[in-house]
Parts: sequence; structure tokens; C-alpha cells
Amino acid sequence: MSTGQLTDQAAGTGTSATSPSRPPAKTPRRPAPLRIRRARAFYVFTVPWVIGFLALTAFPLGYALWLSFTNADGLSPNTRFVGLENYREVFSDPETMDSLWRTGVFTAITVPLGILAGLLLAVLVNQPIRARGVFRTLLYLPAVVPPVGAALTFKLIFDRDSGAANGFLDVFNVNGVSWLVDPYARWVLIMLTMWTVGNGMIISLAGLQDIPRELLEAARVDGASPWQSFSRITLPLLSPVIFFQVVTGIIGSLQTFAPLLMSLSPTPAGVTGVPESNYFFMIHVFAQYFANGRYGYASALLWVLFAIICVVTFLIFKLSKGAVFYSVEPEQAKSKPRTIGDAR
Amino acid sequence: MSISGTSLGRRQFLAASAGAALAATALPGCAASVDDGSSGGGSGSGKTTTLTVMSTDDEKKVFQAAGKALGIKINFVGNDATKLNAMLAAKNPPDIVRGLGATDTPYFAARGLMADLDPYFAKSSVLKASDIDPVNDVWRFDGEKQGAGPRYGMAKDWSQDQMLWYRTDMFEAAKLDPLSETEPLSYDELLDLGRELTKRRLGKVKVYGLSSSGLGTFTQLMGMTASAGGSLFAEDLLTVDFSSPEALKALQWYLEYAQADIGPNVANPNPDGWDWPTFQAGRMAIASDGYWFGGAIGGDAKVAKVSRFAPAAQLGSNRISPCFGATGYWIPKDSKNKDAAWKLFEAYFGGKPAEDRAAGGWGIPSLKSLRSKMPQDTAFQKQAFKVQEEELKHFSVLTFTPYTQLTALDAVINKVLPKAIKGKTSAGKVADQLNSLMNEQIAKGKEALG
Repeated sequence: MSTGQLTDQAAGTGTSATSPSRPPAKTPRRPAPLRIRRARAFYVFTVPWVIGFLALTAFPLGYALWLSFTNADGLSPNTRFVGLENYREVFSDPETMDSLWRTGVFTAITVPLGILAGLLLAVLVNQPIRARGVFRTLLYLPAVVPPVGAALTFKLIFDRDSGAANGFLDVFNVNGVSWLVDPYARWVLIMLTMWTVGNGMIISLAGLQDIPRELLEAARVDGASPWQSFSRITLPLLSPVIFFQVVTGIIGSLQTFAPLLMSLSPTPAGVTGVPESNYFFMIHVFAQYFANGRYGYASALLWVLFAIICVVTFLIFKLSKGAVFYSVEPEQAKSKPRTIGDAR
Repeated sequence: MSISGTSLGRRQFLAASAGAALAATALPGCAASVDDGSSGGGSGSGKTTTLTVMSTDDEKKVFQAAGKALGIKINFVGNDATKLNAMLAAKNPPDIVRGLGATDTPYFAARGLMADLDPYFAKSSVLKASDIDPVNDVWRFDGEKQGAGPRYGMAKDWSQDQMLWYRTDMFEAAKLDPLSETEPLSYDELLDLGRELTKRRLGKVKVYGLSSSGLGTFTQLMGMTASAGGSLFAEDLLTVDFSSPEALKALQWYLEYAQADIGPNVANPNPDGWDWPTFQAGRMAIASDGYWFGGAIGGDAKVAKVSRFAPAAQLGSNRISPCFGATGYWIPKDSKNKDAAWKLFEAYFGGKPAEDRAAGGWGIPSLKSLRSKMPQDTAFQKQAFKVQEEELKHFSVLTFTPYTQLTALDAVINKVLPKAIKGKTSAGKVADQLNSLMNEQIAKGKEALG
């Protein structure tokens, strides 16, 4: 019998081992201490997420890790343990390295461009102009269009022989361009990515509206120019918002699937038709899984990407120190938070 | 943290969550393994059998109606290769699966994923061996080649996929004679025709002279090589050889075709994904598609009036006219309801759905007895039927490798050929690249298969 049980018996029931026949005296049930009730509520509310995380994230991650050490093709009966062979191939396969490089270049172009364009649009629609709401809606609308729909529209617009883009060039007697194949396909994809710049605009706009007016007015009274106000007040106060966009933008861009949506169809057959300049890392992963049936190798690719994302994110956090200004220091959040029911 | 005897500790909580998560992961598999009347197919046991059918949306109502007549509930899953792979890997496959007999059969059969249907065929009074069209041999695989061994599936209908449809209005405008109904063109003649029929403006092709893509580039090169008397695959199906004189000739032709820019190709794919919208819009003069294309043509009276059918072009003297699809259905080995699935299979292939398909003109029926139902009402249908009947003599089965999927080989082609087309690389160098990359892919597949 454990100490806990003894304690329970003594405190909860009031019975003792020497009088087993006597019925326990009924005492009014005391409510559980607040700390326990709070803990219970915490577990009740988090359990669905934890189950979801374990079943849909932790288990697949673990399974993919196991697959990455095998030559599994998903269907063949003779799956064999190959050790680190798949990982060795990841770093020696020129196609993988090229796709990683292309993804990096794409990220280096689209993330800053997207943040800059979003910020510019946010500054514009934050001005006290007429029909400001209409402009905000119009600029945000493309971000609401499902990516598949946007990709289809772009395919139709940029089709070499029947697309609107070449139809426009035709008016000026300019030769048509094969937009959807190399070397132009990359630029069409960048345009497609910029199409959803409304997302960044909304986030930056929220950040702009959070900046206290008094600060800008004080700067103006002190003789600061609009650029000085923007660069010395607005930008520093927006830095947490920009930092958030940098981190999520980089992670999203490294995982982008957009080229597949612009191919003939987002299927194993369609992935084979993605132009080389848009053959990014995740497209390579999809092709290895479903076009080539190399589950083991594709799983190793995914784990490498996971590691790259972790390293990149860690580096961004390290490098951003001193460049991101919080109106409330994050360190303060480390102190014990006040919660509902707190006696203080 | 142990809060107290009455509350849940963090470790217990995590352990319980992990247990629940594992259960959540395993439950779908358990649910699927519940056999709710596999021996039936009807409602004899008091329970309604549910079959999972994976097919394209246009077949949903057909299967649902056939299932209703048999007292079988249909759980329809849209055709999705990635989902199928996942379901097969989880040993929880659909009960009936749509597939390409010509290229899927060796791959899935070699991995032991397809149910041997010979015992069912032997007992069937609906699908008799004497009535089954020879094209269904592509659904057989003996471990080494197609056309022999157990029957794993059946074609819903089929076509000889390198035959040609052309628009007479465009031929007349270009002052060209209509094509022969019996004598095939050579590929060189076809290329010349394509060049003559192509119309351009400012770097854009306004009218494609010829679409040669059909059902994919690899299969096209495979058929061309065979018609020149060669074979892309080695006898053991473990390697491809694009360097043989016959394969090089086919490759050279394709490079010329793509460089001539007279039709959709790997360097300039058709955004529609297939030929019909372009053909219908009067922007394509010749389309290399099988009899099935007539189903689309039959739906547009104006296009039907100016459309005609012609034999498959030949690269050499070995006249053949293969089928690269033979799209049909198979029953996975791990299906939990094989008997009921067979009943539905029989109804679909031998009942009213089969008759309706035969009359629809979307392919040649896979039962010989249904051939008389092929549409012959309009002039274009009569002409197509006549040409098709003649072409049947030249049908042959081309064996595909069991070690990799067609998509993997097409992926290599799409990687290598666009550069070669733009860079004007010689066919010999392209052949070496294709050999190297494809054989590596096949070797990896062989290793996984054991």
C-alpha cells in the first residue's frame, strides 16, 4: 500500500484498517482545490489537440523516419533496411541539390519581395483616402482565391497560343512568348506568388494601426520628415510583425507546392511536367514518392528539409536579435502569467 | 507532476493521449477489416454489403446504379493515384480500382497486389472466355511478360492509341487529299502533313498541324520503336535501350516533331491536358488518339461532320497498332469483399453498363459480342467503325516493365527532352541520357521488388 493510498484513506474516508465492518461516515464532498480543477480543465481542453498531434504529426514523423532508413516503395513486399544510404544519396544527388538551390533562390526573391509589397500596400491603404475600404477589399481579394483557382487562371492567361498575355502582345505585333516553360516559367510562378500579397498587407496594416498616433505626431511637431518618421518610428515598431512574416514566409516558401498546381495536373503524372526552373524541393519529394515510388528516399528528403527549416529558423531568431523591437519585452512573458481565477 | 491521487498526472495524460492516438490511427484499418457479408453481395445475410470503388467521377452513377440492382452499397472514392498507393500500403484498398491495364498490370501484379480473377472468370456465365476480346490480355501477367498468366482485370473498353483523327475542313483548305482508310502513313509523311497544316502568327501557333502526344511520350516512343521492328525494353524488362537503330529513329523523329513546333510536345505541353478542346475549336488538324476520341467528337455534330479516322502511322515495315491504355478495373488482393466485388465487376462488364458504353462510342467494347452495338448512325461513325474493324488485324500487346511505373519513365523524358529540343542535342546523346536515368530507376525498382 502506498503512502498516497494511506493518505487518501485517512483524509478522504475517515475509516481505519481496524474497523472494516463500520460503514464510512458520509461527509459533504469538498470541491477539489482550485489548482487541481485548473489542471483538469487544462487537460480536458488540450487532449483533442494532443491526440491530433500524436496521431497526425508525431506518428507520421516517426513512421517517415523509419521509412527513411529503408528502400521502401510503399508497395513491394521486400522492404529492406539500408541504414544511412538514403541520406547519403540526398547529399550526392545533383537533382536534389539543384532543387534545393532553386527553392532557396525562389525564397530569397519572393519572401522579401512579398513583405515589401505587402508593407507598401499597407502604408498606402492606411492613408486617409476616399473609398479606403474598397481598396483594402480589392487588394485583399486575390488572397482569398483558392490557390488551385489562381494557378488555373494564370495557366490560361499565360498559355502561349491562346492566353491573354500573348493576345495583348499580339495587339502590338510583338512575338508571343512561351511563358509556361523555361526560362519564363519561374517568373510566372513569382507573379503567382505575389498574387497573394494581400495576406502580408493585412498583417502589416494591423501592425501599422497598432502604432500610437501620438508618437508620429510628436515626431512631426519635432520637425521629423515623413521618411524619418517612417524609418525611425514606424519601421522599428513594425519589426515584430515583419519578423513574423519573415519566419512564416521562409518556412512556407521552402515547402511550396505552387509549381505543381501550375503543371498539367497536380498528380503523379502532372509532376513529371513541371519545368526545370520550377522543380523545387517539395516537387522533387512528391515526384520521388508518387511518380518514382521511392518512399524511403522521399522520406529522407523530408527529414532533411525538416532539419533545414529548424536550422534556418534558429539562425533567423539568432540574427534578428537587436533588429526586432517589442513594445512589451518578450522576457516579461517568461514571468508567471496571470490567469482567470488567480487570487491576486 | 503528480497532482494528487484524484487527478491525472502529466505522464499519465501523455500516455493516455498516445494510446488514444494510436487507437485513432489503427481504428480505420480495423473498421475496414470488418467483413460485412463478403460472401454475399446482396442482402441475404440481412446486412447490406458496402463496396469501395475508386474511379473517375463520370462513372459514379454507373456504379451506384449497378450496385443498387445488386443490393450493394457503393462507397465511391475519386480516382487518385496517391490515395490508392496509401490505401494499398495500408492494406486497406478499395474493392474495385480503375487502372490502365497496359501499364499498371505488371507493376501491381508483380507486387502481389492484384487478385487473380481466373477462378471467377472460370465460373462466370456472363464473362465467357470465348467472348473476351484479346485486348484484355494486357491485364494478364505471368511474372515475366504480359499476355500470359492469370487474368487480373478487364478493360472497360479500349482503343488502338496511335491511330489518327483528322479534320477534313482543314485538309480541304490546305488542298490535301484525305487519308487512306486502310494504308498507314509513314511517320515522315505524317510530319510533313503536320508542317503543311500548321498555321502561325507572331511566334504563336494558331493551328496545330499535328498532335502526336496521345497517351504519353514514353508509350508513343515504345509503339514507334516496335513498328520499326525493335523494342525499347530488353527481354527481361530490366533495361531500356534507346540506342538501338529502331529506338534512335523513333527518338530522332520525336525531336524533329518537337523542334518543328507543329503540335503540343514535352517542351510546349497542351494546357488542356488532352487534344479534344483544341481539336474541337478548330485549332488542331490531326490528333493521334484512338477510337475513344470519337466519343467526344460524336457529342458535337459540327465537328463530327468534318472528322475522319485513319490507321496508325508506321515507322518501319512491322505494321502494328498497339493499345497503351485498355483502361478498366481490377480487384485488389487485400479487398475484404472479393465475391461481392466480382458480382459488381460482372454486372459492370457484362450487363447494361457495358452495353451503354459500347453504344456511346468512347471505345471498343471488351466483349466481342458487344461490338455490333458500336455506333454506326452518322457518316463519321460509319467511317470510324469501318477503319477500326480493319485496324484490329494489326493489334499487338507490348509488354511494360514490372519494375517501375510509367510516370517515372515519363518523368525522365520530361526532364531530358525539353533541353534537347531547345539545345538541338543529337538523338544519340539524348538516348544515352535516357538509358542511364531510366535504367537506374528500373534497377532501384527491381531492388525494392526483390
